[in-house]
Amino acid sequence: MVDPAWLVAAVCLVGLVVALVLLGRSRRASEELHARLDRLAREQRMEERASDPDPDAAPAATAPTDDASGALVDRLQQAVDRLEHGVVIWDADGAELYRNQAAASLAEARDGHVLVAAAVEELLAEAATGRHVRRVVELFGPPAESFVVAASPTAPGGGGGAIAVVEDRSLQRRTETVRRDFVANISHELKTPIGALGLLAETLRDEPDQEIVERLAGRMIVEADRLSRTVDDLLELSRIEFGDDAEFGTVAVLAVVAEAEGRIASAAEQAGISVRSEVAADVAVDGDQRQLVSAVFNLLDNAVKYSAADSEVLVEAVDDPGDGVVRLYVTDRGVGVPRRDLDRIFERFYRVDRARSRETGGTGLGLAIVRHVASNHGGDVQVDSTEGVGSTFTLVLPRAEASGSGPGQRARFATGAPDPVDDGSTDGPDLRFQVDQDEFDERMLDGVEVDR
Amino acid sequence: MESLRNEFQEELENLRSDLIRLGAMVSETIGRGTAALLDRDLHAAQVLIDGDDVIDDFCLGLEERCCQLLALQAPIAGDLRFVLTTLRLISELERSADLMVNVCKASRRIYDVEFGPQLRGLIEQMGVEAGFLIRAAIDSYVDADTSLAAALDDIDDRLDELQVNYVQAIFTRHSDEHLGLQGAVQLAMIGRYYERIGDHAVNIGERVMYMVTGWLPEHSGSARHRLRGLGAEDDARPSLRLEQGGVDPGAVSPPAPDGDGG
Repeated sequence: MVDPAWLVAAVCLVGLVVALVLLGRSRRASEELHARLDRLAREQRMEERASDPDPDAAPAATAPTDDASGALVDRLQQAVDRLEHGVVIWDADGAELYRNQAAASLAEARDGHVLVAAAVEELLAEAATGRHVRRVVELFGPPAESFVVAASPTAPGGGGGAIAVVEDRSLQRRTETVRRDFVANISHELKTPIGALGLLAETLRDEPDQEIVERLAGRMIVEADRLSRTVDDLLELSRIEFGDDAEFGTVAVLAVVAEAEGRIASAAEQAGISVRSEVAADVAVDGDQRQLVSAVFNLLDNAVKYSAADSEVLVEAVDDPGDGVVRLYVTDRGVGVPRRDLDRIFERFYRVDRARSRETGGTGLGLAIVRHVASNHGGDVQVDSTEGVGSTFTLVLPRAEASGSGPGQRARFATGAPDPVDDGSTDGPDLRFQVDQDEFDERMLDGVEVDR
Repeated sequence: MESLRNEFQEELENLRSDLIRLGAMVSETIGRGTAALLDRDLHAAQVLIDGDDVIDDFCLGLEERCCQLLALQAPIAGDLRFVLTTLRLISELERSADLMVNVCKASRRIYDVEFGPQLRGLIEQMGVEAGFLIRAAIDSYVDADTSLAAALDDIDDRLDELQVNYVQAIFTRHSDEHLGLQGAVQLAMIGRYYERIGDHAVNIGERVMYMVTGWLPEHSGSARHRLRGLGAEDDARPSLRLEQGGVDPGAVSPPAPDGDGG
């Protein structure tokens, strides 16, 4: 028998090794950049004090021509200007020698970015004395952003100026959070009903009283239902993601909404909520009927779950030939979504309020399904919500055109139509996040495959 | 002489960028403070309360530099108004950060109070609105934009309206017995703090108008006061004495300089 203490020690050791390897990998990239910048700074100094008897500048004598090294410096500067990282270089007197475009835009900003620029100056001053310094600057925003500023002396021991590199880590931070939460959440969603089933079965085994047996069995059925709903939704989600059985064609929005309404009717009635729809008969989209029904049903399901009794859920469809899209609005007068959760509610199993969602019995996958249906159609789903007032979810779908063939229409939509919520920055973090999330989804799907 | 002037211009430029930095600090504080309140994050609240000392220190340094500029460079006309305005803006921004400290302190006192979705939503909106006002105020200063500066008063109406709804929502929640008297009072004061931040932004707007036009908005009130006091006298043209920057001397309530129609 192995001593448990040894086992623990071994596990810790393995964890440590893994952590060190990971740390090393992320540092390598920034070290490479530092090395390049060191070279750049050396070149610049070479130019400036060609006459100085600087040991560092010794290779200058052997450099072929001033022209050649000048051209190299010029190109290196162009290269550094194109980096997403901010780079600021100070000379030995603490005067600014160089600032690339990314760093310049930080300094010229009027929002929290100026605080990053201020941190750069502070760290440069520290690094000029010969110390390597690093600081994480978290901006609340919104949007929340995270920057890592690292500064180091140009010459070891200081006295030769300093270089600072600013890295925007917002995206990584966000992805890390999504991943961490996902693992925690899926474990929770699956483990809670399984744990309950186990306990109930245990109690049931020795229970002589028929009445209690019936009650316990009833609760077991509830928990089993819950588990099977979660698994059903996961399967539905993966089906939609693969999109294998999707049949694209012209679909009347009215038919989609009517079918989804029919499915939600009993739940809405039970909750005392009326669902009203205002959809013209001639509004049609280019898509897969089954997926669209699933998306609209999930939006309605969500609206009904989070609305107060006696309130109304409104479904509207607006045809926008100008943008080539149909916008489907689902509006409720429910509890609403806190602003900081708005961009996260489309993640799998993300919960704004876990206690409440346990009551409503949702699987936490509804909005993830909606988002995937939207992206399968080359469309988008947006949300506008105020806590305590209500939410409006907007499903943006490509409009059906009699002349256009299905896939061509989708492609045109995806590339041509401006994003309605986007305020001009097409390369904003949302887009990048979307890409990353999709990649992540694939990984998660791999897991599902294995489990099956 | 030329280099002296350049140095002076450079220092003015530095003052401007440091004021932008102060503005960014304050607007960060508003966002963080609101989140700390809504998340009941006592640690974040404490970090903000401590962080206010940094802001205070930064303000003192800025103020010192303004005074030095005034004493050593004796700026005139537009430059003088710029330094004076910066001096005033420092205290407006510093006070706004203090108000967020008050919000954080209040959040500690109502740690166990359940706000409910409606109040949460209103607090969140007030935070957004207050942060927006401060950022717009800083923009008007940096761009010397009098129309934006004048519009701040109107933009602030949205925050005022939110605060009115917010107080109403507190009453409702209190009478529904979801909210005790102590919690209600603390929450009401929090609303007041946000509303005051908006007022500071409006003040900044007025000072920016002064910086650009040389005309102080207080003059309309001051003129009214004098008119009431001196109205009987023959030669009472009080606003004549206050005339600056081409304001119609007869106007008791002169319109704002850049056509917001009074």
